[in-house]
Amino acid sequence: MSIAVAGDTTAARRKWDWARVRATLGAWGFLAPAAILVTVFFFIPVIILFVISLTDLSSSNFSEPLHFVWIENYARLFRDRFFPKILLNTVRYVILTLGFFNVGMALVLALLTTHINRRAGFFFRMIWLLPRITPSVVYILMWRRIAHQPPFGILNQLLAPFGVEPRYWLFEQPWLFVILVNGFVGASFGMIIFTSAIESIPRDYIMAAKVDGASTWQVIRDIILPLIRWPLLFVTTYQSLSLLTSFEYILLLTEGGPGLYTTEVWALTAYKRALKTYFGHNQWGYGAAWGFILVLIGLILSIIYLRVFRFNELVEEPKIDVL
Amino acid sequence: MRKHGVWIALTIVAMMSLMLVNCKPQTVTVEVERTVEVTVPVVQTVEVPVGGELVHLVARCKAAPPHEEGRCNNLLAAVGAANAALAEMGDDRRIELEIIQDNADWGDYKTEFELASDAGEAPDIICSGHEHIGDWAPAGYILDITDMIDDYPEFSDIIDSLWESTKWNGRIWGIPQDAEARPFYFNKTLLRQLGWSDEEIESLPDRVTSGEFAWEDMFDVAEEAVNAGVVQPGYGWWHRPKNGPDFLYYYYAAGGEIIPEGGEDALVFDRDAALIVYQLLYEATQERNILLTTRLDGDWTGWHTGITNGEVLFWFGGSWNWAEWAVNYLADRGGEAWLWENVGFAPIPALRRGKNVPITLTHPLLYMISSQSEHPDLALLLISKATTPQLNTDYAVASGHLGILKSQADYTPYTSAKFLSRVLPLLEYTTFLPNSPYWSTWSEAYYLGIQSVESGQLTPEEALEVVVEQLQNELGEHVIVR
Repeated sequence: MSIAVAGDTTAARRKWDWARVRATLGAWGFLAPAAILVTVFFFIPVIILFVISLTDLSSSNFSEPLHFVWIENYARLFRDRFFPKILLNTVRYVILTLGFFNVGMALVLALLTTHINRRAGFFFRMIWLLPRITPSVVYILMWRRIAHQPPFGILNQLLAPFGVEPRYWLFEQPWLFVILVNGFVGASFGMIIFTSAIESIPRDYIMAAKVDGASTWQVIRDIILPLIRWPLLFVTTYQSLSLLTSFEYILLLTEGGPGLYTTEVWALTAYKRALKTYFGHNQWGYGAAWGFILVLIGLILSIIYLRVFRFNELVEEPKIDVL
Repeated sequence: MRKHGVWIALTIVAMMSLMLVNCKPQTVTVEVERTVEVTVPVVQTVEVPVGGELVHLVARCKAAPPHEEGRCNNLLAAVGAANAALAEMGDDRRIELEIIQDNADWGDYKTEFELASDAGEAPDIICSGHEHIGDWAPAGYILDITDMIDDYPEFSDIIDSLWESTKWNGRIWGIPQDAEARPFYFNKTLLRQLGWSDEEIESLPDRVTSGEFAWEDMFDVAEEAVNAGVVQPGYGWWHRPKNGPDFLYYYYAAGGEIIPEGGEDALVFDRDAALIVYQLLYEATQERNILLTTRLDGDWTGWHTGITNGEVLFWFGGSWNWAEWAVNYLADRGGEAWLWENVGFAPIPALRRGKNVPITLTHPLLYMISSQSEHPDLALLLISKATTPQLNTDYAVASGHLGILKSQADYTPYTSAKFLSRVLPLLEYTTFLPNSPYWSTWSEAYYLGIQSVESGQLTPEEALEVVVEQLQNELGEHVIVR
């Protein structure tokens, strides 16, 4: 009897173990593609970046074995008198583009296009997607022509009838154009996310509020915004990290100028140091140091976002089912 | 509603048809001449003897189309002669050449060769700026050809002074492909409008050469033209719109040196010379209003357009610009004839009257051989067959570059090219960039000062301090600040 009991227990344990293994394998199986991608495209490059940042690798010693200078590149970076300016430029670029366009304008667009005729809303959203699908070089060429120097410049032609003195807008207001150019592209991402979030709010809530006499503004403030809190936080996080590392439009538009690092952001400096000088002497080691600091800033920001915005709550099972 | 929609649509169509009918232009018969450009692939027929070897070589060139394409096309044209020479020598190998030619940025072009070299896929021949030797020779990307060049008699025809640009550590790393001068150009029509007589205009090159008309005079005249309304503010004098070799001759003109006398592993930065340059550019933009404060906007098209529209009084350009303007900007206004009528040129004026001498800078391109090439002797043979008066003159005339061969001085097709023969004497005042791995960093820091004074963000003195600090931080022991 006891043997039979023991046999049952072993069989049950065996069955249980197999189920656990299957579950574990399944979990790992689902995680594997993302884990491989993150390892290959993030962790390994970051390690390589860090190792290169400890060397003096450049165009003139590329073919030689790595020569380690340890923290010299970092010391050089912090000694650079333009390092604070470039850092502040980066903060300004991220906050203004994010605030006015990637979140601000995106939210306004999503709200407007979901409160008008459905087809018209779709049409306007499609228009706002155009900058994103236009090739970067063509897009920037258009902006350069818009803000070109007198006697050229579409803006000059448009403003002339109003008595506005023609000027080289891009050079007089470089930040305005840097933010507009990036913002017009960036707004569409948030717009799509917010639109789908707004569209998924049960109509009953809004109808009930309207029956109770709520104005459109009250519906937006008291129903829509609280219900799209998570998409708002996601877009803020994703777009701020994305802006932190983006520089291609600035490179094409102002090259970080005019003058002395006026619109130069951190990622652009890293790119220029490592890959882009007029005479082509690439300082990969030094550029990698600038790049690695950017990775650290990104990681710190990610941790802050995860903590402050309590992302763990976002992925929890819902406490109440909405029927 | 649907019915109304149909009527509205019909009305719109009817109105648009009416508008189109009214907008229809009068029919006028105009005879136009059409030029049709056809791209013809170049087919090489190479006969390989039985048991022989067909060697595939790759050449990479940067060239502005169409006038500079001779850089690689000349190599292609030399394949036949090279193979004939091999046959004559009893060598059973034959050359087949692949060319890769485009107009990439210099920085990207250079990086591409470095990455290709590291990947083991470097082209056999690369045509690039001589200053790249400073990086490529110490890195081992290119071949030291000092002991090989005597085997090719064609190279003895190369102008002696050009060999200087091919050296690093006393060894030769490339074969000159072209040379150029960077002249001071002036708009004759605008000078006439300013009240200059034809004699005064025609004698300007001689007065520049003798040092009678200096940089300060150029600034005075440009300011006078702006004040008189002959040119717009900021259109009195232009330099190139982005960093490049030109700004170094400003520094040379101000008495600056860059290569230390002992040839140490460093570059010199002369504070006094740099300060003079920064003061001049500050004066031109912030005080005299003769140079646009936004001139360093990187816009080459705007630069060429301003010049070829006859809006700029004085400017510093390159001899190759002459062909570029004639072909790409003035083809519908007479091409080179417009230039001869409206534009004159001279060396860059001396900085101070009676104190300095005129100057210019030559930036020869060189054919260099990759150290990864399995057939460097064949690559050099091919280059030698492209280094002939005929091929080089074809290229020089088309591109506005100077000849590189002694024999071109008596070669009729070269001497009969009016612009080339007139611009050739400028070489008497020429200077070069240094072949140094530190040059690029030096140049970026020096240019930072230029950007800051022209934009008015810093005074010349402040700019100098920023540049010195930047140089010391970037180059450390590899810069000697005097």
